[in-house]
Amino acid sequence: MANSVLAPARASEQVEITRWDVQRRRTWVLFLIPALLIYTIFMAFPLFNSMRLSFYQGQGLTPDRYVGLENYVTLFTNPLWRDRFFNAVGNTFVFFAIHMLVQNTLGLLFATLLSNTRLFGRNVYRAIIFTPATMSVLVTGFLWTLILNPRWGMLNQVLEWIGLGALARPWLGDANLALPTISLVSSWQWVGLPTMMFLAGLLTISDELSEAARVDGASAWQIFWRIKLPLLRPTIGIVSVLTFIGNFNAFDVIFAMAGARGEPAYATDLLATFFYRTAIAGEHPVAQPNMGLGAAVATCTFLILLTGVSLWLRFGRGGEETLAG
Amino acid sequence: MKLRLTLLLVIAMLLGLIPSVSAQGGEIALTMGSWRVDDVAQMQVILDAFHAAYPNITITFDPTNPPDYNATLRTQLEGGTAPDLFYLRSYATSRQLFEEGYLEPLGDLPGLMENFTEAARAPWATDDGLPYGVPFIAVSHGVYYNIDLFNELGLEVPQTWEELLAVAQKIKDAGYDPFANASGDEWTIAEIVFMNIAPTFIGGYEGRQAYLNGERCFNDEHAVAVFQAVADLAPFLPEGQEALTYYDSQQLFLMGEAAMWLGGSWDIPFFESEAPDFEWSVFGIPAPEGQEQRYVTFHMDAGMGLNAAAPDDHKEAAKLFLEWMTTPEFATLMGDTLPGFFPISNHPIELSNPHANAFLALNEGAGLDVRWAWEKLLDGQPDGYTLMQNGALAVIAGTMTPQEAADALQEGLAQWFEPAQKCPAGM
Repeated sequence: MANSVLAPARASEQVEITRWDVQRRRTWVLFLIPALLIYTIFMAFPLFNSMRLSFYQGQGLTPDRYVGLENYVTLFTNPLWRDRFFNAVGNTFVFFAIHMLVQNTLGLLFATLLSNTRLFGRNVYRAIIFTPATMSVLVTGFLWTLILNPRWGMLNQVLEWIGLGALARPWLGDANLALPTISLVSSWQWVGLPTMMFLAGLLTISDELSEAARVDGASAWQIFWRIKLPLLRPTIGIVSVLTFIGNFNAFDVIFAMAGARGEPAYATDLLATFFYRTAIAGEHPVAQPNMGLGAAVATCTFLILLTGVSLWLRFGRGGEETLAG
Repeated sequence: MKLRLTLLLVIAMLLGLIPSVSAQGGEIALTMGSWRVDDVAQMQVILDAFHAAYPNITITFDPTNPPDYNATLRTQLEGGTAPDLFYLRSYATSRQLFEEGYLEPLGDLPGLMENFTEAARAPWATDDGLPYGVPFIAVSHGVYYNIDLFNELGLEVPQTWEELLAVAQKIKDAGYDPFANASGDEWTIAEIVFMNIAPTFIGGYEGRQAYLNGERCFNDEHAVAVFQAVADLAPFLPEGQEALTYYDSQQLFLMGEAAMWLGGSWDIPFFESEAPDFEWSVFGIPAPEGQEQRYVTFHMDAGMGLNAAAPDDHKEAAKLFLEWMTTPEFATLMGDTLPGFFPISNHPIELSNPHANAFLALNEGAGLDVRWAWEKLLDGQPDGYTLMQNGALAVIAGTMTPQEAADALQEGLAQWFEPAQKCPAGM
């Protein structure tokens, strides 16, 4: 009898726990809903809507005529659009490559130097390196166009002054030099970000590892190459992906220094400036934007980004796990 | 804080009431769309003068950032929120708006037919001559020159193209830049260099029509001559011109480092305000030796259109304004208020600004025409504007000969422009 009384009690207790558990799980979902809603409304919906638009044509801001893949066919086969598009894709890769090579390598170098606790005036250097990243691209871009101005610019005058006047060039007017020049300006501006990330990464690496290596007779170079760099791999991966995403969406620095047409002769035209002209501004002086085609350009940019980031998630992160394990 | 918010709300509500209150008094408030954000103060003078003549009509000037104007206007028209009156681009852009029914036809507007020539109405009319916009603003083009520098070097205003080049050589020998023009802003090469000199070498309106109706090919001797003229100027452009911008060019001319500048009349207010004491004037593009006729690029820039979807009382009031735009009073007021922008009507007018008068004087005895690419050549891809611009830039950079640039123009237009397709390929 007593047993029979107890048994249901226990059973109900069991039920209670399960119900509580379920409720807890529900609450957990509830906490997700606000973020999910905001993400869906402001990120996912515009993204998918933009993809949907790439299958439409029509005047104005709401293309309404379904055309299937016609926009993509135009973009990839009509020489007018194809040449501009692939030119922009190529330029964007060059832009990205220069950032990887200059901005991120310098960032790693600066971070290594700054992580040296015996370095005098460390905080001052850190502030100087990071300051450009806090300024507006439109401002720094404009200042650099003044410095690079072939007539009144400081750069050519300094070159003249130190006897290298033969190297003076119309930097932003030469189709071969304009894109590298702007990429270097952009690298100068943003070098503070990878520096900070690498510095944070380096500071998490325990000094004991370096000390142990030093005791074992490793040189400073060996310590950097064999111990610090491998341990920095996750940071390097993140910095690379952020650079990749940032560069493939880059617009402002080109707009400020070369204009929306990617002058001279489309030599600095990136995917974002090409997209801006196609979808938003139209080509001067007709200025009739083509929303549908622009959406196709945006979708292609998104696919390039998606491929790049997926590759990193697949391979870059794999390396991180083996390292951790 | 709360009180202030309430106050703001009340004010906002009251402001919302004002139009309906004034409408009760028989007054009509119209809005005007435009891309001329720089002209707010000047347009207010013109609109105030209209309000003085028609006290029950008030027009509010509401301009949009120039690069966004076409798209914004179209969105407003589609959404039914467009202004009652709005600036119209010349040729294709507004033709399309008319064909889609957004513009009121103005065939019966009093004063329009009498006070404007057919050529003046054409940029805002159908091929049959039915107007859908009142011609409003024209801009002129020519060669700015530094009077003091010309006196100092003992130079005369050149009368022929050859003399112009000789003058340029003398200026260069004296250590100055002959021309301030540069290709750092590519549109300037198209609009104030190539299309500034084009009418002189293709024979103005008649010559241009011969291209548009297929009698001429875009790589004939005349087109090559335009590109050749650009090539003639190339050695006289400032060093580093590849990267010098429009603003740099203006400064080079203002600072007296460059003696001449192929430019447009819209810069009169800029030069006058930047350097009031600077002595400059303007001459027309001189014709090559052996050619009697001179030409000036007098470009039809803006018309005024009436929103077909506006309510009837607004339309009536707006038509009164459009009619007022055809009068000599308006022409004088506009030319005086906006120096560098010229009225298009055929009233003989006298302007108070000497620089504006200098530009206007170039028109005497000259053949007038719009910029080459505007009529019909912008209607397809690749458009004539971009082709001319790229060709002129390539000729200046030395990567194309004038003949090659003209061939590229012909080849590009032949892809879609029917009259150009009659020409033998690969000529």
